[in-house]
Amino acid sequence: MVQRFRNLGVWAVLLGYTGVVAVPLYLMLVSSVKTTRQIYSEPLSPPSSLSLDNFANAWQQAHFSTYFVNSVIVTVASVVLILVLSVAASFPMSRYRQRWLSVLLMFFLLGLMLPVRLGIVQLFILFRDIDQLDKLTGLILIYVGIRIPFAVFVISSFMRTIPREMEEAARIDGASEWQVLRHIFVPLVRPALAIVAIFSAIAVWNDFFFPLIFIYSDELKTMPLGLATFMGQYRSDWGLLFAGLTISSVPLVVLYLFTSRQVRQGIATGGLR
Amino acid sequence: MRAVLARRRLRSAIILVAPAFVVYTVVVIYPLVASLWGSLLDWNGLTSGRFIALDNFANLFRDPYLPRVVGAFTHNVLWFVGIMVIQNVGGMLIAYLLYTRRGRMGFFQSAFFLPAILSPILVGALWRIILAPEGPLNSVLGNLGVASGPIAWLGDNNLALPCLVLVDAWNWVGLPLLVFLAGFNDIPPEIMESAKLEGASASKALLSIGLPLVMPSIAIVSILTFINAFNQFDIVYIMEGPEGNPGHSTDVLGTLFYQLAFGTQGASGLTEIGIALALATVLMLLLAAGTVVGLRTLGQRIVEF
Repeated sequence: MVQRFRNLGVWAVLLGYTGVVAVPLYLMLVSSVKTTRQIYSEPLSPPSSLSLDNFANAWQQAHFSTYFVNSVIVTVASVVLILVLSVAASFPMSRYRQRWLSVLLMFFLLGLMLPVRLGIVQLFILFRDIDQLDKLTGLILIYVGIRIPFAVFVISSFMRTIPREMEEAARIDGASEWQVLRHIFVPLVRPALAIVAIFSAIAVWNDFFFPLIFIYSDELKTMPLGLATFMGQYRSDWGLLFAGLTISSVPLVVLYLFTSRQVRQGIATGGLR
Repeated sequence: MRAVLARRRLRSAIILVAPAFVVYTVVVIYPLVASLWGSLLDWNGLTSGRFIALDNFANLFRDPYLPRVVGAFTHNVLWFVGIMVIQNVGGMLIAYLLYTRRGRMGFFQSAFFLPAILSPILVGALWRIILAPEGPLNSVLGNLGVASGPIAWLGDNNLALPCLVLVDAWNWVGLPLLVFLAGFNDIPPEIMESAKLEGASASKALLSIGLPLVMPSIAIVSILTFINAFNQFDIVYIMEGPEGNPGHSTDVLGTLFYQLAFGTQGASGLTEIGIALALATVLMLLLAAGTVVGLRTLGQRIVEF
């Protein structure tokens, strides 16, 4: 009897908190197909009719199509470069037994602890001097630099667990270092690459701080910055605002639907942020 | 032969590491080092002048900046305490419930972590509308007859900061939850079983056995919470603007730094660079000190248990 009540209590907590997570997201979804007046009067009721006007307006008038494309370009380019540069750097640092390479690895891992945003003023001055302000390439360069420590951490830890025999055998057969990396290590570290790709994509897609400071042209804004602009411009048009929020959450929610297990395992094994 | 191989290896190591090294050094290391140095210089707009030692720091801790610094620092501390109590204790309780159920419970894990993949800007924007005076929350409370009139959640000096902390907790509670769950799952099942056989209640088992054994997770979560609390920016910016409205009551060191460095108008109005860099240096030292102290004290506790 007591056990049954205890079980009920546990379920009440779990379902209750599911509600706390779900209700705001439900509100965002249903409100995006309502008019502002309907949102005012009956916020929680399901929509009486399904109108996609808000989405069409957000996409075109409010330039969400532009922000979306920019975010896709920046995210894809950053993730690819992060992976390529970090795999290349992790290989000698985790496989060659040389002192200076272990020191170098520590230098990279230091970046996990550094408050990168606090260097923004000098980064701004530097980017002004090398003409990378208000450019997507500048933004991509920043994300690659910032995410390299995490990527090197994950990939080099993974590479270190791989037994030596395979690589030695290939070397005896006359394979170059490049071939050893390309044909033996890259396929073996694929799970680490997946975790790095997922976490980097989320971090880059969601970042607001760097575009806020480095991008001023409306046609170069990424989603979070576009969203902030949009909040200021359409202050009272809630239907439109909710549609904009829905649009910007869709890509990550879809990614999460397919990768939530890797994400959870990544967090659990220390792949934080 | 050996020497040839070693040289070949050295060359390939340099070629492979160089690109990552250059980008990382240029984007992360150089700006931070230059900022530390720059905080000791006199600035005119974006141009640095002569060496003035600690004058920027003296000015930072003097009127008109001092009250803003103290206020923002206090809000960061409250933010840290709030997240520790609400998000991390809440996350641990839910993690423990999921752990005691033993079943996969993957659905709840995924559901509770879901908000953490959304950007703080999106989450802040969503809650800003929900908490607006005529927004959905007040409308529901009004319909239930709980509140007599609309509550200015984000417009009230005393309510705004707690609301922001709660929104941050809603955003991130999945993170401590998953870390603690992993910590609980690392406990050998026999230990918990024997506690149960000896008649320990669930809460007693959590407090006397579970808690000490997940000390490493507690250390990680506490340090991360500290770092994140003192890096707050996005949620304040989107919900209360860069000034930390109302009346600077939600101002944090991140938004204060942004305002000193870039003005409230975005990247065009550059102001007070010297003071901003002094604040950045103070914040860097604070984060480093907090992290080291955290690792030391909590690290020792881990060894003890």
